[in-house]
Amino acid sequence: MQRRVFLTTAAILTMMTGAAFAQGKERLTIDLPGDAATLDPHLQWNTDSYVIYRNIFDNLVTRNTAGEIVPQIALSWTYLDDTTIEFKIRDDVTFHDGSKLTAEDVAFSINRIIDPNLKSPQLGQFNQISSAEAMDAVTVKVLTKSAYPALMAQLVKLSVVPKAYVEKVGDEEFNVKPMGSGPYKLVEWRKGVETELAAYDGYWRGTPPFPSVLFRAVPDVSTRIADLRTGRADLIREVPPDQATSITGSAGAALLSGATERVGYLYINAEAGPTADVRVRKAIAHAIDRQTLIDALLEGYAAPVNIIGAEPIFGYTPDVQGYDYDPAKAAALIKEAGVEGATVEFLTSPAYNRALVEAIQQMVSEVGLKVEISSSDQATFLKRRQGEASNAGGLAVGAWSCACQDADGIIYPLFRSGSIWAKYSNADYDVLVDAARSTLDSDKRMDLYKQAYEILREDVPGVGLYQVYALYGASSNLKWEPTANEAMFIMDMSWQP
Amino acid sequence: MLHYAFHRTIQAIVAIFGVLTIVFVIMHLSGDPTLLLVPQDASAEMIDELRRQLGFDRPIGVQYLEYLKGLARLDFGISVVQRVPALDIVLSRLPYTIELAAGALLVAVGVGIPAGIIMATMRGSTIDRVLTAIVVTGQSVPTFLSAILLIFVFGVTLRWLPTSGAGDLSALIMPSIALGALSMSTFARMTRISIIDELGKDYVRAGRARGLSMAQVVGRHVLRNASIPVITIAALEIGNLLAGAVIIETVFAWPGIGQLAIQSIQSRDFLVVQVIVLLISFVYVLTSVLADLVYVVVDPRIRLVR
Repeated sequence: MQRRVFLTTAAILTMMTGAAFAQGKERLTIDLPGDAATLDPHLQWNTDSYVIYRNIFDNLVTRNTAGEIVPQIALSWTYLDDTTIEFKIRDDVTFHDGSKLTAEDVAFSINRIIDPNLKSPQLGQFNQISSAEAMDAVTVKVLTKSAYPALMAQLVKLSVVPKAYVEKVGDEEFNVKPMGSGPYKLVEWRKGVETELAAYDGYWRGTPPFPSVLFRAVPDVSTRIADLRTGRADLIREVPPDQATSITGSAGAALLSGATERVGYLYINAEAGPTADVRVRKAIAHAIDRQTLIDALLEGYAAPVNIIGAEPIFGYTPDVQGYDYDPAKAAALIKEAGVEGATVEFLTSPAYNRALVEAIQQMVSEVGLKVEISSSDQATFLKRRQGEASNAGGLAVGAWSCACQDADGIIYPLFRSGSIWAKYSNADYDVLVDAARSTLDSDKRMDLYKQAYEILREDVPGVGLYQVYALYGASSNLKWEPTANEAMFIMDMSWQP
Repeated sequence: MLHYAFHRTIQAIVAIFGVLTIVFVIMHLSGDPTLLLVPQDASAEMIDELRRQLGFDRPIGVQYLEYLKGLARLDFGISVVQRVPALDIVLSRLPYTIELAAGALLVAVGVGIPAGIIMATMRGSTIDRVLTAIVVTGQSVPTFLSAILLIFVFGVTLRWLPTSGAGDLSALIMPSIALGALSMSTFARMTRISIIDELGKDYVRAGRARGLSMAQVVGRHVLRNASIPVITIAALEIGNLLAGAVIIETVFAWPGIGQLAIQSIQSRDFLVVQVIVLLISFVYVLTSVLADLVYVVVDPRIRLVR
C-alpha cells in the first residue's frame, strides 16, 4: 500500500512537472551580439562570454536584484582578522556530473585564477588574494595581501569550477566542454554560431524555468530586432537607443530597460595640451548640455549624473555639486586662459557612439576651442589613451563599469596617479583613494570617496555625463527585470503565455 | 605539363609566403591583443605581465621566426582570445562559407549566364531592357541595404524565410541571393559582351549562310568560344565568394570566414587571422590553376607551358 501511494505520488509529481513545462516554454532563445570567446569562466571577461557561462556556474557570492552582495555557494563569511576571511559553504550543491561541490573546489577555483600559468586576463582583479585553503569539507580560508575591502565585490565575479574534472580533462578541454554547478549544463557549443544549454535537474535552487536555452550570435542589431519580431528570438541584448522605437512599435515585443552601474564620462587630459590648464577643463565641463545629449542622442534612455559614478555604486554621493550647462561662463574661462581657438584632439574608436562624440565636439567648439576628432580602431585607441599623456589626446568619451558596483573600481583606475588611464596627478587625491581601498569601515570609506569626488570636481580630469541604461528587446511573454550589473540570469526569468 | 605544375607551385609558395609576411608585420605593428583582453581596471603592471605571459613583449622578428617554426611543423598556434587551436576555429567556419559560396554561385551562374545570353541575342528588345535594369540594380545596390531589405520583406513581413542564422536550407536562400546578386551582374555582363563579340565574327555569318538557325549557331559554336573570358571571371568570383563576405555574413548572422576574419582583426587575434589569410591565398591560387585547366578542356588549342 505504502509502495503504491509512493508510486502514485511519484506519477503525479512527474505529471505536474511535465505539465509545468508544457505550460511554459520548451526553449528560450537569446540573441547576443557575439559568441562566447571562452566558456572557461576563469579566462574571459567580455559580456557575451559572461552572460552564457554565469548560467553554467555558480559563484561564491553574487548580487541580488537590489545589487546587494548575498551568499550563493557561500553560506556565511567572517573576518578572522583584516587579511583572513573564513567562508562556510553549502553542502547541498552538486556539479552536473552529480559529484558534490566541496571546499576543495572553492579553494582550487581561487588558486587557479591567481596562478600566473593560467594567463588569465582577470588576474588583476584577484591578485590581492595571496591564497585560499580548504580547512574541511565546508570551510575555506582566504588570505589577502593586505586589508582589501573590495574583496567581496571581486569575488562576485569568481565562478566555482570542479577541481577533479578540470584536473582530469585539462584547461584546454575544460574551456570547450565546461562543467559547473549552475542551473544549466552545456549541451553543445557550435563555435561562432550558438550555444545550447539544458536545465540541470539536480540544481540546488530548484528547477530552472526553461528546459532548454539557446544563445545565438547575431552581430547586426537590425537582424536581432527582426529575429525578435518574428519570434526567432525571445530576448535580444544590446539594443541601441535609436533602435528602441522599432521594438516598442511592434506587437508581441517589449523593450526592457534597466539603469546600470555603467557611467558615461568625458575624459579631459590634465597633463598635456591646452587642457592642462584647469580653467580650460572647467570650461569644457560647463560647455556640455547633458540633458540635450540624453534627449536627442539617447532617446531619453539615460540619467544625468553629477559625478563619475552612478547610484548603484558604493561611494556614490548626491552631495557633490555637478557642473551645470553654462556656455557663457565656459567661453569666459577659455578667454581668461587665453587659449581661444586652440586645438584639442578628441580620441575615439568605433566602439563609442559617433553621434555623441560629434555633439560634444560641437558643444565644446561653441565656447571657443577647436576640437578635432581622431578616430582609430579600438586597439590603437587604447594604446594612445592609456599611453603617454602627451600623446593621449585632450578628450575622449567612455562608458565605465567595473561590474563591482564600487567607486574603487571606477575612480581609482581612472584617476589614481600611475594608473594607465590617469592623465592627472594629485597627491591629496591619491591618499584618499588609497585609504578607501585599504579600510574595511564602510562609513569611513563613504566619507573618503566623498572627499575624493570633491577633489575631482575642483581638478576636472574628467566629468560625468550620464548613467547608462541597458536596453533589451524581449517577447512580451518573458518576465525579467534587468539588473545594474548587466548580467542575464535565466533563473530570474519566467514565461507567462 | 610537369613544367607548368612546377612553375605554378613555386609561384604559389612565393605569393602565399609574401602575403603571410605582410599581414604578420601589419598586424603586429598596429598593437597587440593584451589591451583588449584585460578588464578596464587592470594596472600597467598587470598588462605588462599578461603581455609577457602571452609572448607579445618579444621583438617582432623573434615572434615571426617562432611563427615560421610552428608553420614548418604545421602548427598554426593557439588563439589568445579563444584559447583553442587557431586552425580548428577556422576549419569549423569553413563549411558555412563553402555552403554560402555555393548558394551564391548558383544564383550568379544560374541567373547571370542565361540573362547574358538572352541580352546578347535579343539586343534592343523589351526583355533586354528589363534584364539590363535588373543587372544594373544587382550591381549597384549596396549589399548591406539589399540584405536588410530582404530580411524585412521576406523575413519580417511575409514570414516566408528565417531572418538569420545557418541551419536548414531555407536559411541559405536570402544570404545567397544577397551575396550572389553582384556576381550575377558580373556574369551577365561578361556573357553578354563575349557573345556579342563572337556574333560579329565570320564563322557566325558562315554558319548562318549554310542555313543554320541563330539558336543552332549560338548553341553549337558561339557559346564555346565565348566561354573563355567567362571562365576567367568565374575563377575570380569563386575566389571572392570563398574569401568570405563580411557584410552579408554579419547581417545574416552567418558564421562564415568573413565574419570570423573581421572579428579576429578587431580583437587582434593574430594567429586566427594568419590562418584565414593562408586559406584565402590558397583558394585564390587554386582557383586560378583550375581555370587554366578548364581552358584546355574548353579550347583544345590552348597548351599549358611554363
